[in-house]
Amino acid sequence: MARRVFLGMSGGVDSSVSAVLLKERGYDVTGVYMKNWSEDLPGMKCPWAEDLADAKRVAVGLDIDFEVWDFEAAYKQAVVDYMLIEFKAGRTPNPDVVCNELIKFKLFYERALKSGADFIATGHYARVGDTEGESLSPFLDSPRPAGGGRSEQATCNDRLARTGLEEDIELSFSTLPAKTLLRAVDENKDQTYFLYRMSDEALRRTIFPLGELTKPEVKALAFQKGLDVANKKESMGVCFVGEVGMKDFLGRYLETEPGEIREQETGKVLGYHDGAVFYTLGQRHGLYLGGGLPYYVVGKDLEQNLVYVSKNLNHPGLWARELELTDIHWRAGFSAQKAAKMPELRVRLRHRAPLLPAGLELTGNSTRLVFPEAIKRPAAGQSAVLYSGEVCLGGGIVA
Amino acid sequence: MIYLDHAAATPVNPKALQAMLPYFAEQFFNPSAPYLPAKRVREAYENAKAILAQVIGAKSVDLVMTSGATESIQLAFTAARGKVLISKVEHAAVLETAKQFDYGLINVDKAGTIDLDNLRAQLTDEVELVSVALANNELGTIQPLAEIAEILREVRLDRRARGIKTPLFLHSDASQALNLIDISVARLGVDLLTLNAAKVGGPKGVGALYVAHGVRLKPLQYGGGQERGLRAGTENVPGVIGFAAAAEEAKAHLAGNRKEYQEMAFALKRELAHTSIVSQIGGKVNPVELKYLGNPKRQLANFVPICLPGIDAERLIYKLEQQEIYLSTGAACAANKGSKSHVFASIGLSDEEIAGSLRISLGSTNTLEQMPVVANALAEAVAEELARTRRAHG
Repeated sequence: MARRVFLGMSGGVDSSVSAVLLKERGYDVTGVYMKNWSEDLPGMKCPWAEDLADAKRVAVGLDIDFEVWDFEAAYKQAVVDYMLIEFKAGRTPNPDVVCNELIKFKLFYERALKSGADFIATGHYARVGDTEGESLSPFLDSPRPAGGGRSEQATCNDRLARTGLEEDIELSFSTLPAKTLLRAVDENKDQTYFLYRMSDEALRRTIFPLGELTKPEVKALAFQKGLDVANKKESMGVCFVGEVGMKDFLGRYLETEPGEIREQETGKVLGYHDGAVFYTLGQRHGLYLGGGLPYYVVGKDLEQNLVYVSKNLNHPGLWARELELTDIHWRAGFSAQKAAKMPELRVRLRHRAPLLPAGLELTGNSTRLVFPEAIKRPAAGQSAVLYSGEVCLGGGIVA
Repeated sequence: MIYLDHAAATPVNPKALQAMLPYFAEQFFNPSAPYLPAKRVREAYENAKAILAQVIGAKSVDLVMTSGATESIQLAFTAARGKVLISKVEHAAVLETAKQFDYGLINVDKAGTIDLDNLRAQLTDEVELVSVALANNELGTIQPLAEIAEILREVRLDRRARGIKTPLFLHSDASQALNLIDISVARLGVDLLTLNAAKVGGPKGVGALYVAHGVRLKPLQYGGGQERGLRAGTENVPGVIGFAAAAEEAKAHLAGNRKEYQEMAFALKRELAHTSIVSQIGGKVNPVELKYLGNPKRQLANFVPICLPGIDAERLIYKLEQQEIYLSTGAACAANKGSKSHVFASIGLSDEEIAGSLRISLGSTNTLEQMPVVANALAEAVAEELARTRRAHG
């Protein structure tokens, strides 16, 4: 009997190709469009409607079930309100991390299970491994494909051969072994940075169909399968803000006032900003301070509504040898103590940023990342995600 | 390709296209310029307006050319300062404009026909404008405009007798109707009438507003005083010429087209009954009921709005598009916004019925031979959907 998978479908290339792959593997797939935000944005009415139509078109093309699940209220509370609180506190939060933790791999996961799912799936670039960190087939209960270039016929035969096997494996939650979260094969697309807080329970029942593919391969597959979304432009993370831009969005929800932009070293007023909350450490665009060498945001004072900038790229505010982490989430099997002893600890400070060697220092209540040389300091509120080899250990929020 | 969404857009009529072409690169002059070639362009433009006016039994001085029906509607509503009344099944362009005023909604029956008693009851002294589409854009329902006009005439007389000076105007959005109904502004009794080129074989982005004598409007844009000062901006010469040619063509073939569409609609319904979504596909287990929306006696000849409760009509659209058969669930804008049709809700359809509703609107691209193909494709798509929903999971 075919295993039932609920796949989050956004209308993008990645989740659409995921649907194709799951269907070809013989899963009983239900596509789900998660409606997280339906408010009109300036100059854009219902920006999600086209994505929903794209997702549904793909689902209908594959003759799979398709549903729209409304998580708007939860999303508003868990993601939007959280973001606003963080920005107000002068931090730069990462909404995608929270969205994955609290919406996709919690609410969506739970509702899928209730609806009869054996697994959930998303179009994220990530892989699932066993407890030793060995990569498993993305299609948990199916054998690894024997090399590429499989014809439709082969796929079909595989599927028939497999159905017998599958019936022997009774997968109930209690018997599912713990899983590790592994970086994607496509290092350039790896999305584990956004997934490090997803629950271990959900991971046991998650399929990442794209984990072993590269983005160009996924695009090629989309073309090959004649998917209309093959040429679709990549969405840039934060789903609800979309094309409108974070600043316009924040401007609608946060009361802001213009204030001074001061040079850090001299205190000289160089210009004016329209609200200190909009500015992020290290930012050099959107300051409108005229030509010449660029200025960088090196600090801000929310009480006084001041933004401090400097031309000095070596300004200490821009660099760090140590980062204090808060709100740390360790994935199953890992802990601060374990991580601190790992010789090859790596950390990622931004999505797609290179993995940096680092050590973890624990003193009292403090957990610090220590770098062998100074690194560009990430803004407070961003995530630092830790790895050992391919395995994502967990991560924390930069204080 | 089988295109069944002529209520959303029509291909530009070949004659209209030919008429337009010289005015892009050859006769490109500004009609307001002082030299002779420009004067020729002015003449062609005015001639086109005269033709269009004639089509609806008006004079060209009564027409204000616009960028489409939405603009015409905005302009028409400037006739009112006080309260406006619109039917519950108006297009979003009317509904959203009315919301800028103190507004009331007139009830409709199950076919979407306006409830005249309800109109009378709501026609209080502060009402200045009533707006009812000549034909509804989702159901094709033709409204009794002349009767509405008569009611308004009585109210005007009554107001005058009581010394009440509040004006009362009747506006009608005739976007869907110009190629199917012989429109005469005098017979309809309207003070304002919105026309749309794109639905009758003209180009997109061109519309007109008929304005009766004595109706005072406020311009939406100011500038060079074109269109009697009501719509400043250099005239859309090719667009208006294309519109006039399309309207003239539509008028010339009105009766023939109507008969043709009626035959096609009849054939489609007959074929649907034969392929029988009801008996063959539904069987005894879970028969799908096939309903036709609206009242065929008071419906544009090219409209076949159908309802398949329990079926997800959007899925049918995506299935049929794979065979290059294109139809729609309702107004294109509403469908695109992912919101459910207020028109279907107003005629008392349940959520399930709304989700199962399809709008087929026939037109110049269709032939009788296409109808069995459409019926079969639709029945097959419904069968596939039923098979999918019945398939046991897990």
